[in-house]
Formats: sequence, C-alpha cells, structure tokens
Amino acid sequence: MNQISHRSLLARTFAQARRLSLIGVWIGGLLTLASALLISYDVIVRRLFGITIGGSDELSGYAFAISTSWALAYTALERANVRIDLVYQHMPVRVAALLDGIALVALGVFSVYLTYHAHEVALQSWQQGSRANTPLATPLWLPQLMWVAGLAWFSMILALMLVRASVAMLSGDMATLKAVCGVKSVHEEAEEEAATGIRLVKGEAA
Amino acid sequence: MIAVALVLLLALMALSIPVAASLGVLGLLLDPIYSMLPLSRAMGEMAWGTSTEFLLVAIPLFIMLGEILLRAGFAERMYGAMSLWLSWLPGGLMHANIGASTLFAATSGSSVATAATVGTVAIPQIKRFGYNEPLFLGSIAAGGTLGILIPPSINLVIYGVLTNSSVPQLYLAGIIPGLLMALLFMAVIIVACKIKPHWGGQRVTASWSERLRSLVHLLPPAGIFLLVVGSIYAGVATPTEAAALGVLGALVLAALFGRLKIAMLREVLESSMRATAMIMIIVVAAGFLNFVMSAIGLTGAITDTVTGLGWSPMWMLLAVVVFYVILGCFMETLSMMITTIPIVAPIMTALGFDPIWLGIIIILLVETALITPPVGLNLFVVQSLRKSGSMQAVINGSMPFVLALFVMIGLLSAFPGLALWLPSVFTN
Repeated sequence: MNQISHRSLLARTFAQARRLSLIGVWIGGLLTLASALLISYDVIVRRLFGITIGGSDELSGYAFAISTSWALAYTALERANVRIDLVYQHMPVRVAALLDGIALVALGVFSVYLTYHAHEVALQSWQQGSRANTPLATPLWLPQLMWVAGLAWFSMILALMLVRASVAMLSGDMATLKAVCGVKSVHEEAEEEAATGIRLVKGEAA
Repeated sequence: MIAVALVLLLALMALSIPVAASLGVLGLLLDPIYSMLPLSRAMGEMAWGTSTEFLLVAIPLFIMLGEILLRAGFAERMYGAMSLWLSWLPGGLMHANIGASTLFAATSGSSVATAATVGTVAIPQIKRFGYNEPLFLGSIAAGGTLGILIPPSINLVIYGVLTNSSVPQLYLAGIIPGLLMALLFMAVIIVACKIKPHWGGQRVTASWSERLRSLVHLLPPAGIFLLVVGSIYAGVATPTEAAALGVLGALVLAALFGRLKIAMLREVLESSMRATAMIMIIVVAAGFLNFVMSAIGLTGAITDTVTGLGWSPMWMLLAVVVFYVILGCFMETLSMMITTIPIVAPIMTALGFDPIWLGIIIILLVETALITPPVGLNLFVVQSLRKSGSMQAVINGSMPFVLALFVMIGLLSAFPGLALWLPSVFTN
C-alpha cells in the first residue's frame, strides 16, 4: 500500500469515528432533554396533585454522567478543551505542533487513568451486586458501565487523534495537524460564537 | 511542596496542555511524590460522585435553556422594545444595549451568548444613527457580562458547588448588584455623552402608545425569568428542578414562535453537550486535584502561608482583586474559577468574609476578565460581529465599563448588604 492510500484509510477511519462521536452526543443530548422533561413532570405532579413520584433526581444523575462521558470524545474532536495559549501563540509552527502533540498525550494519560479507575468502580459494583440506596434500588453497575463505556470511547478517540497527528507531523502536513489538534484561538472561538449569534437572530437556523 | 506544585502547574499550563489534563496530571504527579498511600485509586469513586451530583445536573440544563432561548426568535423584538423605552436618554440605543442585555441575562446563564445575541441586533444601528463606535461596542461587550451576575447563572452554580454554599442564596445575592451594575453601565454612557454630546448619535423618539404596545415583546423573557427564578423562591423547585422547568418553558416558547424544528433541536443538543463536557471534565479533574492536595497537606500549607502573611482582611481582599484581574487577562474564565476558588474561598472565609458575598465579588472579577485584553472573550465576540475595523476600538470602548466594574466591587466591599440583604430577607 502506498502512502496516499494509507493516509486516506486513516482519514476515513477518522471521519467514521467522528460520526459515531456525534451520534454519542445526540443520544447524550436526548438523555439530558429527557431528564429535563422527567424532572419537570415530577415537580408539576408533586405541586399540583401532591403526588411524589420521585426517582427523577437519581435517574437524571445517571443520565448526566452518561451523557457527559459520551460527549467528551466530540469535545476533543471539536478541539473545545480549554488550553492556555499565552506561550503557544508565540511559538514557531514546528514547536507549536510539538506542543499540540504533548497536549494530546497529556489528555490521553489523564483519560486513561480516569477510565481505568472508573472501570474499577463499575467492576466492584458488579461483583458486590451493589444497588443504589434509593426506592428504585438501581443495580449500580448498569449506569456505571454505560458511563465507563463513554470514557473508554473518549480514550480511544484521543489515541486515534494521536495517530492521525503523528502521521501528519511525520509527513510534514501541518494543515492537517492543526485541524486535528491545534489550539482553537480566541479569534476562531469568537468567530463561531458570533456566527451562531447572527444565524440565530436572522433565523436561518430554524 | 508549594513551590513544586506551583512550578509544575505553571509548566503544564504554559505547555498549553488542556486545563483539565493539567489539573489531572498534576494530581497524578503529586500523589506518588508526597503521599504514602496511592490516592489516585479514589479517582473513580470521586468522578462517579461528581458526575451524578443532582445539583450539577443544573449545568447542562441551564446551558440547554440558554441555547433554546437563543434560537427561540424573540431577541430582535425584545431589543426593539427596549430601544423604544430607553433611547430618549443621552446615548440613545446604547442604553437599549444594556437594557436588552439585562433582560437577556435574566433568562440566560452565559455572558458570551448574551453579547453575541444583543450585538447581532445592535451593531447595524451604529452607522444608521451616527454613534461613537468604540463606546457603542463597549456597551455591548460590557452589557453581555451581566449574563453571569443576574440569575440564572452557570458560574454561580459552579461557585456554589465548589464552596458548598446555597445556589438559591447566591442567585438572590446577585440580583441587586446585577441591577445596580446595569445602572452604573448606563451612568457611564450618560456621563460620556454629556461630555461629548456628538457621541450619542441622533435622538430616537417614541410615543407612549408605541412603548406600551411594545411591552408584549418583553413577555417571553420575563415569563422564563419568573418560571425559573420564581419557582425557586416560591419554594416549588430546587435550582436543578427550576432549570428543568426552564427548558420545558423555552421549548414551549420556541414552538409558539414556530422555531421548534429538528435541525434546531439538533444544534441545541450538540452545543449544549459540548459545553457541558468541556466544563465537567475540568470539574472532575479539579475535584481529584483538590482531594490529592488536601490529603498531602498542600491545601493546609497554602492556607497557613497566606494567613501567615498577617495581612488585614481588606489588604487580602485587595490582593485577591489584583490576583484575579491579572489572571483574568490570560485565562479562560470558567477554568480560572474552577482552579482557584477551592483555594481562595477557604482563605477568605477564614478571614471572616461571607462566602455568598465573596461569590458575587468573584463573579464581578470574572466579568472584568471577560472585557479586559488580551483574552477577554466578549471583546472578541463583539469584534467578530462587526467584520471590519480594529480590535483596539472595542478595547478602548470597554475601558470605561471596566472602571464601572471596579466601582461596583468597591461599593460591594463597603456595603456588603447590597448582596446580602436579599438573601437575609428570604431566609427569615
């Protein structure tokens, strides 16, 4: 296989991973929306009819953990993690590229540790058959497993980003490197916010 | 130990490692260096605890509420109504900028979103009515910062969680300073336009019947505010429950305005989940770091060192203000809050400052950070809305409003009751 098709295979995998991450975000978002509706229902019924259903706080807590962990991969792909670019912005392109790599590795180290220790929590719940200390008595391993899966996906995406960035760096493809893991400058970020603002008010999004 | 930790943290951040990873990796490094027991084992349980905390569920819900309202399509009409009511003042539409920001802030917990929305509607009016461009742009950037001071506020939820203080009390404490801040911003505009009358552009006049008819456009934001903030103080709902009711209300509004579509909903979900994940990974990492820091005695050592300086409370407050003003020039504001509050708040409360009051002071400092160069995000948002002209104009125009923020911090230090009176009324 020549170098070109190698890269395009990688690019294809990357695009696929991005699509899956986006689906993860939508499902997480729907879970959050469902939490909002469940909590509202709980409050309204409690207030108007004096019926306490309960459980919405517990369930929305699980939904929160799961949706957040599944959104992490997308956040990384969108380069939405906050980085301080005080030094970075004054560095020549190659040094900045190296810093991007280091940043990715550091995030990866943290995420792998987090995933590992989170998996211990879920495993322990499974082995001990722990249940939530609530009327629902939810078997804890169930939400915990879904939460850990999101974290594991996040670590995998970071690894994939690292591979993509390394290949780009070795082949001197700085544009791809920057697109994969460069710092989103305040300008870019503000551009996006402003663009959203304009679209919203003009109503094109609807 | 303090020096090692500080140097490591600064090095990690200077390498432009993401804030969450910097904090997490610092925790992982400090653990084997200073602790007998492997502390990182606790990471999993802590992360699960934080990630399922019901109070924190308010964060994605408030973000989602803001994202839906942004797209609900009432911003333009609301701005129009505000301009009819306020533009007779010297400075004209600039007061509408502040007024619309204030009202929008009462439904949204984000400053950047507030500036982006109001700015989009307002900026085309500069040329039309011949306003002084820098001051006009400054009023949008500054008005936007009100988003986090006037409840609901995402930043106050985070402060409440970090310091174990009551979010409803923090919300109450933000109302009077928020309104006062809006009045101070308007005062800045009036003074500037009294000195240089031509900055104020052409007067726009409106009849009383026009004004009264426009009131209907203020109903949607007012309704959301009553639903969210009202339900908390009527004792009907906790902050998280209020946020959920707000999401429901915003969906109904968007449907009434014909804006509730699949594409719109998808955008809402994507941007709110992205923002939530970005915040939560920092919260989880900071939680772990704080645990390691107190287990190895670092937190205690820092507190002892700082209190050992023997500074009077007022000097310490001044030091905190200077610290945040400088830090705010370089750091994104949410990460700045999450990293510093666990250290700063205990020191200040040990000196006798009220934690609720301190929360409002810190929010005012965060607002300052949003409009001070080089990393004031609101400045950049306003700049990118106008497409041409130099950034310096926005910076210059914001400076008078930074002074107003300092005046407010001074007022609040002299009269803590401005923040604490309203919470005390409700607790008794």
